Amino acid sequence: MKLGGQTDLKRTQELFWELITAPEGVRAAIDSLSRRGLVDEPSLNSLFTGDQGLPAVERLDIYANMYFYRLLDCLAEDFPKSLAAVGPARFHNLVTDYLLRHPSEHPSLRYLGQRLPQFIATHPLLEAFPHLADLARLEWARADVFDAPDVQPLSRDVLARLPQDRAGDARFTLIPAFALLRFDHEVVSFWRKLDESAAGHAGTAAASGAAIHGGGSGNAAREAPDPGASPSGEVPEPPSLPAPARRSAAARVWRRDFIVYHCSLDEEEARCLDLVLAGESIGRICQQLAAGRSLVKATARAGRMIQGWLEDGILAEVALNETTR
Amino acid sequence: MSPDSAPNRDRSDGRPSFLGHGVGLRRDHFERVLSDPAAVDWFEALSENFMVEGGRPLDVLTRVRERYPVVLHGVSLSIGSTDPLDQAYLARLDALARRFQPAWVSDHLCWTGVGGRNAHDLLPLPYTEAALDHVVERVQRVQERLGRPIALENVSSYVAYRHSALAEWEFLAEVALRSGCGILLDINNIYVSARNHGFDPGAYLEGIPPHKVWQFHLAGHSDKGAYLLDTHDHPVIDPVWELYREAVLRFDPVSTLIEWDDRIPAFERLEQESQRARAIHDEALPRLAGPAAVTTAPAGRPAGLGTQP
Repeated sequence: MKLGGQTDLKRTQELFWELITAPEGVRAAIDSLSRRGLVDEPSLNSLFTGDQGLPAVERLDIYANMYFYRLLDCLAEDFPKSLAAVGPARFHNLVTDYLLRHPSEHPSLRYLGQRLPQFIATHPLLEAFPHLADLARLEWARADVFDAPDVQPLSRDVLARLPQDRAGDARFTLIPAFALLRFDHEVVSFWRKLDESAAGHAGTAAASGAAIHGGGSGNAAREAPDPGASPSGEVPEPPSLPAPARRSAAARVWRRDFIVYHCSLDEEEARCLDLVLAGESIGRICQQLAAGRSLVKATARAGRMIQGWLEDGILAEVALNETTR
Repeated sequence: MSPDSAPNRDRSDGRPSFLGHGVGLRRDHFERVLSDPAAVDWFEALSENFMVEGGRPLDVLTRVRERYPVVLHGVSLSIGSTDPLDQAYLARLDALARRFQPAWVSDHLCWTGVGGRNAHDLLPLPYTEAALDHVVERVQRVQERLGRPIALENVSSYVAYRHSALAEWEFLAEVALRSGCGILLDINNIYVSARNHGFDPGAYLEGIPPHKVWQFHLAGHSDKGAYLLDTHDHPVIDPVWELYREAVLRFDPVSTLIEWDDRIPAFERLEQESQRARAIHDEALPRLAGPAAVTTAPAGRPAGLGTQP
């Protein structure tokens, strides 16, 4: 990119972007551009204002810091347990790598972390923290259901009005603020331990803690944290919790009364929810439960499960022949 | 809320209704705002935070809107970007405005990204004729898409462009005059940028056409020694209050909002800041104590704009 006194707005914005998003700061970005013969510091100084008190490079560095730390803050808010699990230094480096690969492409910060769980699954950090991708998926699911569409949950009365002789043909619909997750590690219990640990975020118990998005930071400036903030000047380490066991696990995440909940599931309930999500009938769910059980026990198990779904408010509708409620 | 019942309460000079003194609606204060009457006249909601499908923020804004006038204030319009206008974003903003019937919709005179990427920061424009043409044309297209004029806010900045041919206030005034948009004049941002770039904040106020100013912002900032940083995490400082007093005298009654976005204190502290703004305002313009010089927007009713510029 030749500056050469050009004032083309697009190229100016592209240069500005390149300078403020460089992970090692504006100075390193200029050096890199200079080596590539694209721009050098004198030409930069002819484009941007600066003086002895505050040279152009330092002025641009203010924007570079605001860029990174605003996005770091956002991801720390959406992934507090992932941050607690790896510690702030590793999380900082993870976010640096993530933003290089996935800069925000949405007008809202709400979606910044959308690809972080998948990104973690391919990141070297996974070697030391093999459960991290699962933990991040749980956190993102919680963030996702927080502002999913509002739907009135199915009431017991509506369910009771189903003709008993046709109940097996009926199909449930789940609320939009619901997610069924499968993990390779037992991250639900790990999430709770992090919550209970000093390094976790106290007061956000699994069934009551709601990440409240929509707070935002307005247009307030962001800056790098004060390096003297830690009394020892050292980066705090993550809590010394045993890593979660590597074992197949399932969980559901849902929202009720504007509060986000999650809980672990046994595989049988997870398979039944798979069937609900696939639009299968209550009869088909009962068949699933009948394997290896007497009819009485299978019916009782189905009843308890549906009772739990009703109490948690994850069912939106029950319908016969797709249109009959 | 009765979205279609808004009378046109515009002032005689074409400015929208004087809403009084408000504060930004922040999640830390959701419960407080809903549980007890607030000693403020109106709220400003950050548009992007409510561009969602459901959940608590939308419910809170719905209930706040039933009681108070609301203004939608965005941070991602990116009116100065060389990227195409984001039509999906405009559709969401339009839907939000139709649902909540804000007194007006505002954003910033800046760019926030390029090449499809978003910095989520308010980045400065060069103040050139080419940039002016570019911004004016985009503002007009946004206003056509939304079916209403918008207001644009001056941003705090830390670097400027040597090839700028206009002062920031000249650029802002020209954008407003040519496009028909209003001006959200951030008094703190004027103070911060004046210090960072060495201009006279009084000259800034004098360069802004009074009839284009719809709203004031007031906020705190941080003094970093070599520069001021617009952190919105402190009380408004005395020199900014003094600049505000000068602005009130110059621009007459202008809806005023306290912004506090980080290290957010108890709501009562914001009420105190808002009361201080009200006291300065009323002292500067005592005639408001008599027969109403301007119309005011009633709580719980849309104070919509009825006329295009």
